[in-house]
Formats: sequence, C-alpha cells, structure tokens
Amino acid sequence: MLYREALNRALDEMMEKDETVVVLGEDVGFYGGNYRVTEGLYAKYGEKRVIDTPIAENSIVGNAIGMALGGLRPVAEIMTVNFILIAMDQIVNQMAKLRYMSGGKIELPMVVRTPQGVSKQLAAQHSQSLERFFTSVPGLITMVASDATAAYYGLKKAIELDDPVIFLEHELLYPMKMEIKKRENFDPFRADIVKEGKDITVVSYLKMLHDTLKAVPVFEKELNVSVEVINLHSLNPLDMETIANSVKKTKRFVVVTEEPKTGSFAAEVVSKVSEELFYHLDAPPLRICGEDVPTPYNRKLELLSIPTPEKIAQQIVYWGREHGI
Amino acid sequence: MMGKSIVERAYYLMKLGRVFEERAKEEYMKGNISGFLHLAIGEEAVHVGATLAFGKGDIFVHYREHVWALARGISPKSLMAELFGKKTGVSKGKGGSMHLYEPLLNFYGGNAIVGAQIPHAVGAAYARKYLGHTEGVLVAFGDGATNAGNYYESLNMAALWELPVLFVNENNLYAIGTRIDRASAVKELYKKAKEFMPAERVDGMDFFQVYDAVSRAKEYIEREGKPYYIEFLTYRYEPHSMSDPGDYRSPRELKVFHDKDPVEFLKREGIKRGLFDENFVKEIDERVEEEIEEAVKFALESPEPEDSELFTDIFCEVCTDVVP
Amino acid sequence: MEYKVVMPQLTDTMEEGKIVRWLKKEGEIVKKDEPLVEIESDKAVMEVPSMKEGVLVKILAEEGEELPVGAPIAVIETEVEKAQITAKKVEEKPAEKEEKKEEIKIPQKKPEKKEALPEGTASPSAKKTAAQLGVNIKKLQEEGKLPVPAHEKDIKSYFYSRFFTKSALELLQRYGLSPEEVYQSVKKERIDKKAVEKYIKEKNIPEISAPSDIQRILIKNLSKSTQIPVYHITHPFDVKYLLEKKDYTLTTYLIKVFGDVMYNYPELRTIYKEDSFYTYPTSNISVAIAVDNELFNPTIKNVEDKTLKEIYEKLQEIKEKAKNRNLSVEDIQGATFSISNLGMFGIKQFDAVIPPFHSGIAAVGTAVEGVITITFTFDHRVINGAQAAQFVIDVEKKIQAMRSLK
Repeated sequence: MLYREALNRALDEMMEKDETVVVLGEDVGFYGGNYRVTEGLYAKYGEKRVIDTPIAENSIVGNAIGMALGGLRPVAEIMTVNFILIAMDQIVNQMAKLRYMSGGKIELPMVVRTPQGVSKQLAAQHSQSLERFFTSVPGLITMVASDATAAYYGLKKAIELDDPVIFLEHELLYPMKMEIKKRENFDPFRADIVKEGKDITVVSYLKMLHDTLKAVPVFEKELNVSVEVINLHSLNPLDMETIANSVKKTKRFVVVTEEPKTGSFAAEVVSKVSEELFYHLDAPPLRICGEDVPTPYNRKLELLSIPTPEKIAQQIVYWGREHGI
Repeated sequence: MMGKSIVERAYYLMKLGRVFEERAKEEYMKGNISGFLHLAIGEEAVHVGATLAFGKGDIFVHYREHVWALARGISPKSLMAELFGKKTGVSKGKGGSMHLYEPLLNFYGGNAIVGAQIPHAVGAAYARKYLGHTEGVLVAFGDGATNAGNYYESLNMAALWELPVLFVNENNLYAIGTRIDRASAVKELYKKAKEFMPAERVDGMDFFQVYDAVSRAKEYIEREGKPYYIEFLTYRYEPHSMSDPGDYRSPRELKVFHDKDPVEFLKREGIKRGLFDENFVKEIDERVEEEIEEAVKFALESPEPEDSELFTDIFCEVCTDVVP
Repeated sequence: MEYKVVMPQLTDTMEEGKIVRWLKKEGEIVKKDEPLVEIESDKAVMEVPSMKEGVLVKILAEEGEELPVGAPIAVIETEVEKAQITAKKVEEKPAEKEEKKEEIKIPQKKPEKKEALPEGTASPSAKKTAAQLGVNIKKLQEEGKLPVPAHEKDIKSYFYSRFFTKSALELLQRYGLSPEEVYQSVKKERIDKKAVEKYIKEKNIPEISAPSDIQRILIKNLSKSTQIPVYHITHPFDVKYLLEKKDYTLTTYLIKVFGDVMYNYPELRTIYKEDSFYTYPTSNISVAIAVDNELFNPTIKNVEDKTLKEIYEKLQEIKEKAKNRNLSVEDIQGATFSISNLGMFGIKQFDAVIPPFHSGIAAVGTAVEGVITITFTFDHRVINGAQAAQFVIDVEKKIQAMRSLK
C-alpha cells in the first residue's frame, strides 16, 4: 500500500460510516485529487459529498467552517501548504478562535488537510514547511502523518474530533510504499518511540523521520551510542511527557525538521526541553533544520538547503564529539 | 493595421516558442529538466500577439510563461539553462520554469501562486501613474484565477483608482483538471469584469485578432488612464503540467482546437495575405531549430551554480553584511 | 539513426515507472507525438507519445516491468529503410535495476578556532551530579583531572574510578564497563582486578572487538559462498608410498596430482559468475593458509607445467608472503580449485567451504595407516556428480602412478 492510499482509505471509511463527512477542495472530485488522495471518492459518494471548488483557498476554509457550523464534518484539502497562506485569515482569525470567542458555544468539527515540504525542484513558492505558522496559533490542533499508520488512524481521529485540525502530510511520502500497522487504540496525542536507546533522544516527523532513521545506524556506530527516536503525530498539543521521559534517560536532545531553522517549530521544542529539563541535560540541545533560505530550483542547491540522512548523521556526530560523547 | 515586419517577427517568435516547449518536454522526460513544467503549446498567439502589441510596458504573468518570456526578449539559451537549473539561467538556476524575471525588459515574471501577480500589476500601475509615466501595465492570468479573491480585489482597485492596467485573461477552459463551467458561475469570463471596466472576448488562436485587440486596449488605457479587460479564448494542447495525464478532455475537443493551431493559422494566413512566403517560413523554421539546438547545448554544457549560491541573493549588500 | 526511448520522467517525484501497455508493436511505424506506451508514474497512468518518427525496432521492457527513470525501454530507428537490419541487431537488455545503496560517510570536521571555556564549565546534569557526589568541578579542572567542559560521564567516571585499582580500570575499559555500574554492584571501597574479573564472569559480559579488514572480506566471501549449491564426495586415498618418499610435503604431491588431472577436466578449470561460465586454460590451485585469525587463499598457477620442486618452492614463497601479509593481487587471483589441509593437525576427516569464484575444494585429512580421507566439495552448477566421480577416480589413479615418479 502507498502512503496516499492509507489516507484515501481513512477518508473512504469515515465517509462510509458517517454521511455528514464531506470532502472539498481544488480538483478533489472529478479529477481525483492532484496527489490522488481522494481518488475514487467522487465516483462512490457523488458530487454533493466530494466537492470540487474553484481556486479560492480562503473560501475553501471559510466554507468548511460554515459547513461545520451547519452540522457537517468537512475535510478540506488545500492542494499544497503553499496555497494555505491565502487562507490564513480564515484559519487564524476564524477557525482557531470561534470556540473560545463564543464561550464554548460553537464547535468546529473540521479538518484542513495539506501536504508540505520540499519535493523535487518545485522552487521556492512550492517547497515549504510551514508548521510553525499553525503550531503558534492557540485553538488549533496541528497533526502530522509520518507514515501510513499515522495517516490512516490519525486522519480518522482528526475527523472524529470536535475541534478544528490542521493535518499535515508530506509530498514525498505520497508515493512511498508502507503498511498500516494494526493499532485500534492509536492516540495521535501520544508520540511513538520508534526506536529505543539510552544515549541520545532524537525527535522528528514527516519525511525527516525517515531520513533520521536512515542516519541512525551511521552515527550510532560512529559515536558508539544508542539512540532513542521519537515520532510525533501531533505538534500542538505536544506530547512533552514522552519527550521528557526519554530526555531524563538520555540527557541529550536533538530535533530534526525540514523547515528553515530561525523561528522554527524545532525552536519551540528546544525551548520546552530547555525550560523543563535543563538540569537533566548533559549537552546543549541540537536543532537540525533547513537553511534560512528560500528553496532554490537547482537540485544540488535544493539538497543543500534541507537536512539529508548524510547531514543528519554528520551534524549529530560533530555535536556529540564536541559535547562529551 | 500592422506592418509586414511585425507579422514576420510574430511568426518567428511563435515558432520559437513552440519548438522551445516541445524540446523542453523532451528534455524533461530525459530528466534534464525537473520540477513543474507547464507548457503553453496552443496559446502562442496570445503570448506573442499581446507582447508585441503592448510595446515596452511592464508585463506580469503566470507560471505558464516560457513563450511570454521569449517574446519579451529573454534568450532561448538563458531560458533553457534556467529550466536545466544552471548557473547561466535567467534566474541563475534558482527559479526554474515558473520564476523567470528580467526587469531590464520590464518583465516581472511568472508566479507559482494562482492570481498572486494580479495585485502586483495594480501596484506597479499605481507607481507608474504616480511617477508620471504614461505606459500601462499588462497582467496575464488564467481562467482559474478569475475565481480567486485577489482577482476581484484587483479589478475593483484598478477601476477605483483609475489605473492603466490591461487585464489579459487567458481562458484555456481548464484549471488543472476542472473545467471552467464546473468552477465559475459566470461562464463568459469577461462579464466578470464588465461592471468595473470595458471588457471584451477575443479569439486567442488568431494572432491578428490578438494583436489588434491589445493594440486598441493599450491605446485606451494609456489615453484614458483607466483599466481594460480582454478575455482570450485559447487552448493548451498539453496537459496542465508534465505530471497531469490530461485525460479529462475529449478527443473531439482536442481535435477542434488542434484544427485551430495558432502557429499553423498564422503561417497559412501570412502566406495567403502575402505578408511572407513559403521560403521565409522555411528559413525561419530552420533557424528556430538551430537556435533551440544551440540553447539545449548551451544549457547542457553550462555549469551548475556553486554551493555558495545557496546563500546569495537573499538580502541586499547592507543586510547581507549584518546577517551572520 | 537509432533513437533510444528511455523511461520518461513524468512527474516531479517519479523515480521509477511501470510499463502498463505498449501501444505499438515491434516493427510498427510510429509518428512523432503518436502514443507509444502507457506508463504508470507515482501520480497517474499516462500515455507517453513518441518523440521521434520511425520504426519501433525493439521493445526492451515488457509490460508490467518497473524500471528507473532513464533506463532504456525501446529503440526507434528514424531511418525507415535501416529498420529491417536493425531489428535483428539490437539485443540490448534494459539496465538492471541497481539497488540504490546510500552509504553515508562522515567527513573529517574542519578544525574551528574556539574560545577556551573557563574552569568551572560543565553541563547542567554534570553540575547536578557533582553536587550530589560532592565533586568540586572547578578545582579538579584546574588540577587537570576533569576536562573543560565537564559532562556527567566525566564526573561519575572521576568519582567512581577512585574505588578501582589501575589494572581494574584498564579491565573496565577493555570491556566497555563504566566504573559506576560496577561499583554499584560490588559496593566496595577498594576494587581490584580480581573483583572486576569476578563481576565480568558473574554477569557474563562479552569482550567486543571489530573484525580486521581481512576478516571482514573473509566474512563477506564466506556469506557469498553459502549461496553456491554444493555437494560432497568423500573418498580414501592410499598415500603410503608418498609418505615414505619424504622428498616433499604431502600437500605438494597433492597439488601436483590435482593440477595434472584437472588439466584434463575443463569443468574443474571453470567457474560460474553472473550468468556466464569462465573456463581457464591452465590448472590454477589455491591453498588455504591460516595466519592467526585470518585466512588467505594464495594461488599456484600452471600447476600442470610445474615440477614438484617448483611447486614446493612456490608453496614456501606464498606461505611466507601470507605470514608477512604482503600477498599481491596477482597472488590471490585466478584459481578455480582449492585445497585445505587440516590433516597436518591430525584431523581425520572434514569438509570445506568453496572460496568465492572457485568451483571446488579438497579437504585433506590426516593419514591413518597410510590412508588419507579427502572430502571434495563441488559447485553443482559447474560440475555434475558423474564428472566429479570420474575426476576423483582419476586422482586416485594418478596417486598410484606417482610411485613411478622420481
């Protein structure tokens, strides 16, 4: 199964189960979705439940808010995260705040799904990781799906929730082959320890999780350590308990994300670790992130601008050697 | 009426655009070009006709922009090199297909966000007017953009502030895979502008009509200092981008528009009207093939940008000095 | 002109594509832009048009096949007249899908000038641990007993090391044990080497070491050898006469015998590699030589042309070279058959693993009343049982014939 098919299955099952679940977005219906996530749903559920919208991102989210107010459970697809910037007013000023401003009288059971990240040579306006914009908005849940299991169970949970969720996927994960592991009790707000270890804690998600796992055996061997790898399913709320338990054990913390470093979500995680776990730390926390540059078109420069398995291994080795490993 | 030399130039540029893009497609499949590649094959009459008729004024366009760029005077070499991501590319290999800019030619390039260039054009026209220039600003966008908010906001402001903007709507009927009548409540798109400014619909497959309409419109916006709107009916023979199967269009529809091929049309009409002869066509066709061959060779042989280029062109010198 | 059609890049993320359906047959004329093949990319199934006009002379990738972008999938002859001839000639296989092995290497870090940190600098957890254990970081750093900055490990190592004797500490290091964990278990103010040894035995802690480069190669080769389908033939040989002669070692005689017989058996001079048989013109035999933990397989070439004396001398030479570890590439290449003699240690019978790029090996046991048992291992892909049996019988005959050799 492909990652995107896991998402498709989640949508399909939720639509089958609950007729108030609808999907809307650009090219999601007749065309089958630009990344084929909604493929087949139009034929199965019809145009009333799989709604092709004009190119109007602000209204796609605005309409989804209205649908949620009106008793539906909309799942809006924004073709890529780059276009979600047009919808930021609806997301930040409306979607995130309505429950609070209404004193809890209004509920928005809705999901905005969108893929992000650097794909391959799509240049600066199509190659971004923008999780920081969502995680910094109170009232918004930001989930990420790093593998087929998180995609399938995570999206189903997101649709079931009575709160608005930004559901981030990654463009390069769509065509990747992976399996859904059976996990009926999947809790998106609990991070997974994908690999246990005792010397370094590494937190990551989306494509960078996969790159980190490729780098792990290399720097484990080079530094002669064992590494604990944590996979996040939700960025906000963040499962600090799992992170804290791990850091208390390993005393060293690394976070790997694809976004540019300055002002990143990674910075937020490091802040929390520093605040809450300062006296447990035996080395300064390390952020491995993208460079602070717009993503270039040229492939060589593009790869220089983001972490790769090589760079992750290298940076962790240099950092480890400098700080007493 | 336009002169003979304009028509000759138009044929050259349209053929250049056609062969350039066909070759770009081939090079994409070979893996020399990557990312998104949106081809404008079938829309050359609008891109070349409008550029030639518009003269020197500022031009803002969308991501389907190779032919606009060539018509504006960006060389096939630096354009092909950009698609190859090379240092010698018009944007030093950092922009790619969707991001071609040449301010020296008043070409403010492509935009990968649908409709985002429309407010830019309105602002540029404001600046022009404020600074006392007379030349107008042309902005091109597709049918899909006419459903976006910034489109309406721009129409309103251009009309409200009486700015010399020529809105060029390239209606090729599809926003990726969604047909315009499934996305727009108003099917005749020029009517979506009519309340704000004079607006008309023109056959975008006919160079002569395009050139004529843009010439009149340019004269109007510069004389009146007000905006004008043209909807060109055109067609892209290729799918939206290289990764789109394009199977949402009927063979019949494709045939109807292939019969109206703008390059073939101009060739036929040019000869019929005695504006050029077959020898001229042959000469141009050969020249274009050579030029494109050279462009590919140039692109292939050009160096990759240096690694240090990753961190250049982010800020001006002053700021680069203070940023660590 | 021949135009090679390659697996096209159809999307920005496509790395490989699947041939869904050929829309043209071999020998058919295809026009430019005419649909040629249907390919499934990661995003969709798409018709791919031909870039050239000509005759589709050869289809290189079958329907259902998945190939990386850029791999040749068909050949179009653009000059139609030429197409007839080309159709027969082209026999190119599409590039085998190479397994992408991303080996990650860590380059040496460029030295950076760093400001020296003042004494007293330590990580938060080091400071916490020092406070708990009553270690004065600043003082010890001034005395050079702790590094700057100090980490938790340094504090603990300093604190707990005091309980150990010097030789005990060395032992800890060899076994990768931390002083703290041993101290917590032993709980004595003075821990000597014996106590650590006891701890190691009680906890059954292994000593871990990395294989040498040569051992690594051997391990890799042995794993390869297990993929060879083999069978064994065990047979006794009467070598009384040879043992009595004492002119040369038994190995020398055996090499000569094998070499001479092998010369008549092309299968014994053949190896199988990547879908091809390689038959060598001469009898080349390698000898397994163990040096400490390492194993070498140097080769004696042209055995059929060599005298016993020459073989004996060559044997001494390669043994010496192996011992000094200065065997050249030439010394270890080209053999198809190998010999391993554990008889010299008194082993009666054993079998051996065929070294890579060999097709057989003889495992020689010790003489019992003038009779040795040799177990042959053969690569079934190269030598069948009947051929092997004949070879073994001929070896026996040759040994008998040796009686007449001077």
